[in-house]
Amino acid sequence: MNEVTQKKSNSRSSSPASSLWQDAWKRLFKNKAAVISLFYIIGIILVAIFADVLAPFSYEVQSPENRLAFPNTTYWMGTDILGRDLFSRVIYGTRMSMSVGIIIAFCSLIVGTIYGSLSGYAGGQLDNILMRVVDILYTFPSLLLIILIRVIFGPGLFGIFLALTIVEWVSVSRIVRGQILQVKEMAYVEAARAVGVKHQIIIARHILPNILGPIIVTLTFEIPAAILSESFLSFIGLGLQPPFSSWGSLANDGFQAFKSYPYLIFFPGMAIFLTVLAFNLLGDGLRDALDPKLKNT
Amino acid sequence: MLLFILKRLFISIPVIFILATLTFCIMRVTPGGPFDKDKAIPPEIKANIEAKYHLDKPPFINTPAFHEKKWINILTETQYFYYMKGLARGDLGPSYKYLGRSVTDIIRDSLPVSVELGFYAALLAFLLGVPLGILAAYKHNTWIDNAAMFTAISGITLPSFLVAALLIYIFSIKMGWLPAGLWDGGWEYKVLPTIALGLRPVAIIARLMRTSMLDVIKADYVRTARAKGLNEVWVILKHVVKNSLIPVITISGPLIAGIITGSFVIEHVFAIPGIAKHFILAVTNRDYTLIMGVTLVYAVLLIIANILVDVFYALVDPRIKLS
Amino acid sequence: MKKISTLLGLVLISLPLFLSCSSRFKLTNDTLYFNLGTEPPSLDPSKATDTTSNLVIENIMDSLTDYDISTADLKIVPKVAKSWRITKGGKVYTFTLRNDILWTDGKKVTAHDFEYSWRRLIDPATAAEYAYFLFDVKNAKAFNEGKIKDFSKVGIKALDDHTFQITLEKPVSYFLHVSTFSSLSPLRKDVIDQWGDRWTEPEHIVTEGPFKLVQWKHDYQLTLERNENYYDAKGKLKKVECFMIVEQSTALSLYQTRKLDIIIQVPPLDIPKLKQTPEFHSGNFLSTYYIGINTKKAPLNNPYVRKALASSINRNQITEMLQKGDLPSSSLIPMGMQGYNPELGYKLNVAQAQEWMKKAGYEKKESNPTWVHSKTKEPFPTLTFMYNTNEAHKTIAEDLQAQWKKNLGVSMVIDNQEWKVYNNSLQSSHKSPETASFHLFRLGWNADYPDPDNFMSLFTSYSDNNHTHWGNSKFDSLTEKAKVILDYSKRVDLYNKAQKILLEEDTAIIPLYVYAHQSMWRDEVKGIQMNPLDRWYFDQIWLERNIK
Repeated sequence: MNEVTQKKSNSRSSSPASSLWQDAWKRLFKNKAAVISLFYIIGIILVAIFADVLAPFSYEVQSPENRLAFPNTTYWMGTDILGRDLFSRVIYGTRMSMSVGIIIAFCSLIVGTIYGSLSGYAGGQLDNILMRVVDILYTFPSLLLIILIRVIFGPGLFGIFLALTIVEWVSVSRIVRGQILQVKEMAYVEAARAVGVKHQIIIARHILPNILGPIIVTLTFEIPAAILSESFLSFIGLGLQPPFSSWGSLANDGFQAFKSYPYLIFFPGMAIFLTVLAFNLLGDGLRDALDPKLKNT
Repeated sequence: MLLFILKRLFISIPVIFILATLTFCIMRVTPGGPFDKDKAIPPEIKANIEAKYHLDKPPFINTPAFHEKKWINILTETQYFYYMKGLARGDLGPSYKYLGRSVTDIIRDSLPVSVELGFYAALLAFLLGVPLGILAAYKHNTWIDNAAMFTAISGITLPSFLVAALLIYIFSIKMGWLPAGLWDGGWEYKVLPTIALGLRPVAIIARLMRTSMLDVIKADYVRTARAKGLNEVWVILKHVVKNSLIPVITISGPLIAGIITGSFVIEHVFAIPGIAKHFILAVTNRDYTLIMGVTLVYAVLLIIANILVDVFYALVDPRIKLS
Repeated sequence: MKKISTLLGLVLISLPLFLSCSSRFKLTNDTLYFNLGTEPPSLDPSKATDTTSNLVIENIMDSLTDYDISTADLKIVPKVAKSWRITKGGKVYTFTLRNDILWTDGKKVTAHDFEYSWRRLIDPATAAEYAYFLFDVKNAKAFNEGKIKDFSKVGIKALDDHTFQITLEKPVSYFLHVSTFSSLSPLRKDVIDQWGDRWTEPEHIVTEGPFKLVQWKHDYQLTLERNENYYDAKGKLKKVECFMIVEQSTALSLYQTRKLDIIIQVPPLDIPKLKQTPEFHSGNFLSTYYIGINTKKAPLNNPYVRKALASSINRNQITEMLQKGDLPSSSLIPMGMQGYNPELGYKLNVAQAQEWMKKAGYEKKESNPTWVHSKTKEPFPTLTFMYNTNEAHKTIAEDLQAQWKKNLGVSMVIDNQEWKVYNNSLQSSHKSPETASFHLFRLGWNADYPDPDNFMSLFTSYSDNNHTHWGNSKFDSLTEKAKVILDYSKRVDLYNKAQKILLEEDTAIIPLYVYAHQSMWRDEVKGIQMNPLDRWYFDQIWLERNIK
């Protein structure tokens, strides 16, 4: 009864890819939560791109006389301990958090997909060894790695990208391998192999297109996971370099004073919450839309 | 069955060995040592400390021994070899931060606390997550489904320090119902940390349960059972829920190991003396032996959890044979 | 489905039942609830080096002498030693011990227990970090280095059960302070021999202070109980429960819900609100927060540039922003200590700073707001300020960045490093300071003992704690001279001269402020004496709770 765990369908191969995607789009657009989320995410990405235009103040200019002001008409979200406008910092934080989320998700997806495909497609001893490597990396104390990478590459964004990618790709590779294992057994793949089609071609033509759906779904879950990981790094003091801000670093600054200045944690906290929520709802919607099994329910 | 467990344990030995080696390497190339601090230590005192804790030997390769042509010493007179030798005897060494306590002491004191908290959180996750998932799947595409999934997703979306802050603010400060921290025997100390820690697994399990149930509901044998006119509740319970639980069980191994060791933020915020904080603090203190100790504990937990899952698998589904 | 829902129902119904059984926090006047903040890394006096461990050790062990924290100049008063004589021009200290002091197991405290403890501190096998406290003692350093094996050659001797004698290499003015150190409390050889490293566990430990350790749940809480064998006036508290709550906001919540009586750290951002309550207490202690300058790295190898930086800081703005009640200070020797001089060191003076920059060879055109070297035409480089990851340091770094930009027109990037990496960067910069990655760094110093030498000797050219890579033989000799002089005004005069070199002539460091510590306690807690050493003596505290 292993198929029970393997929820992806095999009917996909029979219908032409293009109409599958069209169907998926149609189904996705019927899902209100997913559509709203999609628009929200597009909006947030626009905010990230046009942060300089949208933010009323600079993220680093301090006005000591306006320190710790409660939200008012000038400072919509109040000001922090150095008198910087929280609204502007959240706007710039959008850019940081979104680039962290998207870049790390993409990188870990690429690495994870290549590794997972190799492992799943090759099977046998190689698969066994590659998966033990994954086991080891999974248990490895990642904080050490993060500190080391920061020492080597300095405190810039690159270090954070690299460190979190190394931590995140492992789980992606497991998911991809699981998918490959199922698709590999499909009749048409077996047939292609029997005819003697090259491995690269089988992977590129027959396998990858069939697992593209789950991969996209994984992406929508990896982005919020990366955003949350960055906020954890901020919590233990290994996040972004000041004066830059990410939602995670802002929320952590606010956490230190959530009793006296709740707005300092509320706004960045809400930003994280809504964005992660949107990605998850979109991901759920996409999964339902891409899974033809649910077509008739 | 026993053979299967033994075989799995046997395979784990090289994995643990490589993990230990890799951790040791990364640990020793990371700058800063356990006795480095802002106050400078005179070199002669530093030499005494290093001699006492075997830190005066080279980490991996003893080059002086190479020049002296003592070939065996090149590898044996190293910190790595001393550590592995101790490890083989089950000796995890002394902590370099908590002088006078051994790593074994620290793990023995803190692991049970984390296991207890993890148990509550896992219990919450299953007791709440499974019914939530069942409900959502059974009422697929209704407002109940949406509401349940919205709740579940909310659990995944908040960083745990936000959840903890929110819970303390509402239940301790505003309402005054529950203590804002500590771990003092009474049940009231356990409620908030359990919720804060369990929320995420609740969400994960609920979503998984829902997806898996939607798959199973359409399976042929379910249709057959329904067609036979069996009681609906019976069908759902006997055929659907039981079979949908399998993927939930699959992830529960790593999930529980993760709950036990991944609760740093919760333990920190609620001042709970568990092991998770050592995963962070041992690294920031460069407490070498403790870093190794907790990493190995995590690896062993994960291995045991995965074996248990496989065994449990076989018990739930007789068609799966342990090989 | 049914089974699960019944189970769920049972759990929900049984929850309120638990509500009735409640906690062990029964408030009485016998027990004080205190937050230590962290797990004490070691309660072994020879090995403890941190404030948390020492706070506990000071309450369970008595040393030869102690400070009277009720006096402004922290007078040294008898404790286990009832008197002492200083002879041979300050080279020999002879302590006469009381003969009525008992260990918690009933045995008598003798001078041999002191000899053992002092010997243990410098024994290379102990590998004690604080062994250098005794390096002024005859042959102690050589014994610690293993060059002398025969302990009878070391100037530490129990002449008889009640006479303990120390012989120094040369007289040092601050040596009596050493006799107060908790690291040098007497120890029981038989106990340590029997239990080894585990002798500090409550079931083994034998002490002689006003309290004794009865329980230690690691990383969570330890319990002190009044020592009924104690020779001196007994305290009123029977028990002190010390918790190890790291997160300050959690400790504050527990304080506010009356689970804690005293907290000795307060979340910085909550201070403005808490300050308005009478429960908030703040005081300065003997410590200095300073910016260190890498004086070898261009362009800071030019003293005029360093002077310009020092003259462009508004210290008040920094301390007001931190809101902790820190005292702005341009003097390295902190307020409350001999030699403190607020007149020394540069204060904010924007016009003067511009002059210094011109003297350093830089010019600024009206059209171009950045400094350019007048000969090479190279622009003034961006400086790098390095600090270790921490909220307060971050705030200070960000503010300095803004202040130097505004007051001096100098840009700076800030680089935060994890604590251990940070210390490593400072240490390893000694190899080639010119190419080190940072121009500026932050550090703080807390007095080990209330003597200015503890601060001034940090910056001698041969000090391991001097990361500025600056050395001045005049400064060195002034500091050495002051070390052995006992005359108050002569000492102050020497320190004024030395500080002037360090802070003005050469500007190797820029002190910012004297730290303040904050604590909260309710009116029902009596007898607390805030003091510049941040000591907490539980035997002086009592409770007057309003118990119904």
